[in-house]
Amino acid sequence: MALIDVQDLIKRFDGKEVLKGVTMSLSEGQSKVVMGASGCGKSTLLKCLNLLVSPTSGRIIFKGEDITRPDMDIHRLRQDIGFVFQHFALYTHLTVEENITLGLRKIKKMKTAAAREKAAFELERVGMIEHRNKYPAHLSGGQKQRAAIVRALAMDPAVLFLDEPTSALDPQMSREVVTVINKLYLDNITMLCVTHDPFLAKYISDSIVFMHEGVVVAEDVAERLFYEHEDPRVRQFYLSVIDHR
Amino acid sequence: MDAFVQDLIHYSPQILAGLKNTLLLMAIMSVTGIAGGIGLFYLSLAQNRFLRRGTERFISFFIGTPLLVHLFLMYYGLPPLGIRLSAFAVAVIGFTINVSAYNARYLMTAYNGLDKTQIEAARAQGFRFFQIFRLIILPQALRLSVPSLTNQVIQNLKDTSVAFLIQYPDFFAQMQEIASTNFQFFKTYVAAGLVYLALVSVIVAAARRLERKVALPGLETLGRA
Repeated sequence: MALIDVQDLIKRFDGKEVLKGVTMSLSEGQSKVVMGASGCGKSTLLKCLNLLVSPTSGRIIFKGEDITRPDMDIHRLRQDIGFVFQHFALYTHLTVEENITLGLRKIKKMKTAAAREKAAFELERVGMIEHRNKYPAHLSGGQKQRAAIVRALAMDPAVLFLDEPTSALDPQMSREVVTVINKLYLDNITMLCVTHDPFLAKYISDSIVFMHEGVVVAEDVAERLFYEHEDPRVRQFYLSVIDHR
Repeated sequence: MDAFVQDLIHYSPQILAGLKNTLLLMAIMSVTGIAGGIGLFYLSLAQNRFLRRGTERFISFFIGTPLLVHLFLMYYGLPPLGIRLSAFAVAVIGFTINVSAYNARYLMTAYNGLDKTQIEAARAQGFRFFQIFRLIILPQALRLSVPSLTNQVIQNLKDTSVAFLIQYPDFFAQMQEIASTNFQFFKTYVAAGLVYLALVSVIVAAARRLERKVALPGLETLGRA
């Protein structure tokens, strides 16, 4: 059974249809990347899936439960979905460790010592342990994004959503983050990532979902999608992002 | 010894009692003003549109009308309606509402400067709005507003002198009484001004220390090059 099953998802903003009936699924242990040109609706799709944005219609089944029903406990749902943002979104008044332990203490109700231990374990995993007492303002972009990934992972979510995790980074820092996400991929963490970066897409995905103007037009493994796909929009998109690298 | 200095010594118990009343009023309204300001700030972020708008109008009304009008309204306007409040109660209530409105505005300004993706991240993590306010928004808004909030404390101290107009026996009321007794208006008011200046200097020094201590990481004031 799929962990997430999206059926005919539609989202309108002020009459403008951004998602025009998206259907896709994600299984446990699977990692998918959503690609497509700017404005195709991929970030909106991600935000609809944890109800940061309310879908206009359609169904989202998460762990066998329809999360679009009106009485859904959205706070409980969100605790099960890790979310990594393009611009890191770390809490600027807290240290790296406090960023990670805040959710553990206040949402998961863990004791401070246990939360710190959990944070240390996860920071070690991404090579950030020596930065645990630093504030976000004193970290590089790559370090910030790694800290944000740890903050999301530490909550032991069922799935990790990544919204353009490398697009605010320079190539070197981007590689640093790709390495970390690739490690998660190899550890079979369930992931759904939105990106423009074909390098990231290739190294962290079992398959790539290609969106165009609010609908899914293709889904395949990276090699076939980038080089052999019959849809010219897909090949054209790939060539355009490769040109900009 | 100068007759004026002798007067000050003679009236010193009265002056000190006034000073105590002034500092008490300032301390109370500074604390209640922060608490009220935080409350109004919270309401002005409420998800309910009507509550948000109502709070904004409340703040605008109390910032847009003179404090003295509120004090007179409560002290002289309410008794005919059967509500009689002491000068102290009127001063505390009037100043609290006024200072709360200003403090809420300072916090709102600081909030507007915050990186809002943090709030989205907190929502995505599963925090409830009150938790986001208490754990993410308020600590940062308060720290960013320290210069404005401490300036407001200075303003509070100076504004206490208005309370003598509703018969509150504050420091300035005592000095006014001394002046009308010895007719040394110039010297008495200069002495009063100097006392206010000394008190303000103490607050300013404490405020600057606090500002340095609680500055948000990455927003610390740089030293000289």
